[in-house]
Amino acid sequence: MLTRGIRSIALSIAALALAAPAAAQWKPTKPVDLIVHTGPGGGSDLLARAMVTMIEKEKLVPVRINVINKPGGNGAVAAAALVEKKGDPNTIGLITSVWIAGPLTSSEAKVTVHDLKPIAQLMLEPAVIVVRADSPYKTLKDFIEAAKAKPGALKQSGGSVTSRDNIVRLSLQHATGAKWAYVSFQGGGERLAALLGGHVDIMVIEPQEAGEQVRAGKLRVLAQLTDKRLAGWADVPTLKEAGYDVALTPQIRAVVAPPDQPSDASAYWQNTFDALRKTESWKKYVHDNQLDDEFADGATLKKTMVEIERQLKEAYTQAGIKTVR
Amino acid sequence: MDIVSGLLHGFQVALTMNNLVMCVVGVVLGTVIGVLPGLGPPATIAMLLPLTMKLEPTGAMIMLAGIYYGAKYGGSTTSILLNVPGESSSVVTCIDGYAMARKGRAGPALGMAAIASFIAGTFGVVALMLVAPPLARLSLAFSAPEYFALMVLGLAMVVLLSGESLTKALLAMFVGLWIASMGTDIFSATSRFTFDQVELMGGIDFIIVAIGVFAVGEVLGNMEPAKAPDMLPVPKGLRNLMPTWEDMRKCRFAFVNGSVVGFLIGILPGAGSTIASFMSYGIEKAVSKHPEEFGHGAIEGVAAPEGANNAETGGALVPLLTLGIPGSGTTAILLAALILWGFKPGPLFIQDSPQLFWGLVASMYIGNVLLLILNLPLVAVFAQLLKLPAYMMYPLILGVSIVGVYTSANSMFQLGLLCVFGLLGYLMRKLDYPTAPLVLGLVLGDLMEKALRQSLMMSQGSISILFRPIPSVLLILAALLLIVPLFRKFNAARLQVIDREA
Repeated sequence: MLTRGIRSIALSIAALALAAPAAAQWKPTKPVDLIVHTGPGGGSDLLARAMVTMIEKEKLVPVRINVINKPGGNGAVAAAALVEKKGDPNTIGLITSVWIAGPLTSSEAKVTVHDLKPIAQLMLEPAVIVVRADSPYKTLKDFIEAAKAKPGALKQSGGSVTSRDNIVRLSLQHATGAKWAYVSFQGGGERLAALLGGHVDIMVIEPQEAGEQVRAGKLRVLAQLTDKRLAGWADVPTLKEAGYDVALTPQIRAVVAPPDQPSDASAYWQNTFDALRKTESWKKYVHDNQLDDEFADGATLKKTMVEIERQLKEAYTQAGIKTVR
Repeated sequence: MDIVSGLLHGFQVALTMNNLVMCVVGVVLGTVIGVLPGLGPPATIAMLLPLTMKLEPTGAMIMLAGIYYGAKYGGSTTSILLNVPGESSSVVTCIDGYAMARKGRAGPALGMAAIASFIAGTFGVVALMLVAPPLARLSLAFSAPEYFALMVLGLAMVVLLSGESLTKALLAMFVGLWIASMGTDIFSATSRFTFDQVELMGGIDFIIVAIGVFAVGEVLGNMEPAKAPDMLPVPKGLRNLMPTWEDMRKCRFAFVNGSVVGFLIGILPGAGSTIASFMSYGIEKAVSKHPEEFGHGAIEGVAAPEGANNAETGGALVPLLTLGIPGSGTTAILLAALILWGFKPGPLFIQDSPQLFWGLVASMYIGNVLLLILNLPLVAVFAQLLKLPAYMMYPLILGVSIVGVYTSANSMFQLGLLCVFGLLGYLMRKLDYPTAPLVLGLVLGDLMEKALRQSLMMSQGSISILFRPIPSVLLILAALLLIVPLFRKFNAARLQVIDREA
């Protein structure tokens, strides 16, 4: 009797010891909140809703996932909302590089990436450099040389001065000594319209957006901002191949959790997104939107975020953009 | 595919049972979310997008577009009845729509909103079908300097929106411009007037200000008298609830104005339906023979902006479908939807997917007719709302305002802002400041500042870029708008002097 009892206890301890490293024992039992920093219809919101649909279709999570919109402050409102949920296993957030850039230049944005718990990097957003199809610049070198000849006369349209579009310009200017102007536009449509209408000369654009314009003979791609050539753009040189070996600040889409989320819950979420990216629906989504499928676990994501922060800070300082952290 | 065969093919697509049902679902949903303040087409379409994955794309697109233009019909309802704008594009409708309701003419106002929406909405579809490609090229000629001049023209309309005192109107407008400057500046990443609040980093949403100063301010002002105000008269009988032939005759120009202005502003990727409605309202008042009636229930003041925001839909689809350029939040989501369904929106879209394009165009003709049939009988229902006594009406207005603001951003901070702007609206009323110029400054200020700075960045600081042909014409119009009333005043004074001397 006694020996059997002891044996069963010993067995269960052994079972526990075996299960502990896997740590995927925790499962959500009530609806989960997925916080995004854009309003309904914004880039992150659409991705979040697409992800929830895929997760439901593949039955990866046993409960409902609600997309919670916390727009405002370029991610700062959403980041603050995540910190408020400190320790909560049932809350996660979908972030972009904007969350890293915001706190660097705005003192109001108090939550930095160091405050959030990294779960998984989902993808990189690639980009390409384009000019109008009737533009005299056939290669990136043509453009840079022209910019050198007439400093400040050529123009690039893009987003906020802190966005990737401008970082690329700053790095290229720094490496080559060329100078051209940067005109910020709020919406992606306006940026593209300014280029197509001949009001600016060059822009950094997402491949998916550029693809159709190229097919219709409206735009020409000079280079892709990637480490290796993308599947759909095999004949376009990377920045390095075009002769400009500048550091590329990756544009990430990743999942984070509130600070101090229990590690079994964080492990569960990391496994969930690892499973998601292996599904057919995910592969189709990434392909249709011409994204760069680069999964990484929480530990790697942490390193990436810290590195992005360092690169951005360096670029801002060089460009004279005031940083507060 | 030429237009006739394209359209015939389109009707074949749109008139299948499945697509007809989708169209009905879309326009009904659109009307509902249009009536509800705070919930707009972008949010609704984004939330429905995952569901559409299971649908056939043409039907899904027909439905989503139905929500988009259906909401423009519904948006005027609460503007007219409660002074709470249902959509941002119906803010300007509050001015004369609510004034009409106060005079017992809520029915004709609602009816006229539906009729003007139908006429201009249909015009927008016809124009989309006939002149999309050439106009799309024209829209690309518009860039920062042109937008700047357009916004200046808009701001010059402040003289039209002012009451007795132009000084007070200008002061209100400057407050609006100041609020517009709040938030993070995209050109320098500097925070402006954020008072160290995270929530202010993105600026203040103009719909919160509009609901605050219009609806909350109005309720606070009306609650003041000790005696409960008289109930608003609601005439009996369907005949009295509809616009009269006289009203229709009065609005002849407003229909044309709303249709053309709405469509033209719609094709510009950087403007939008709110600006379209303000512009057409301004033009309507500027050319009116009795401008003094505006602000006190002129029916043209409802017909022009409501028409414009519907014609804008057709216009906004031009750059989306012919160039692959989204000009607004809603069209950006429609673009994402097309990609999600496996289409390739861009310059070749119409050529590659004629079935979807012509099916959509045909469904929009059908949808506009459905919306007219749906909305006219609703007038009688909604007009009854005004029979509510004050102790029910005011809580209702406040409740609708609060829920509307909360749903748009999920944040208590925004409700705090609503209170602040409600009090501001109340004070402005007490001190006899017009509120419309404040909202005008807020709507146009942000775009105007960006456009000016973009222009100067493009020209390396040379102001000459603002005197290209299109901006020059617009700036001259703006100057005329400002000078003519002064001249009139001067002339009137001169005539008085002559009279006295005689």
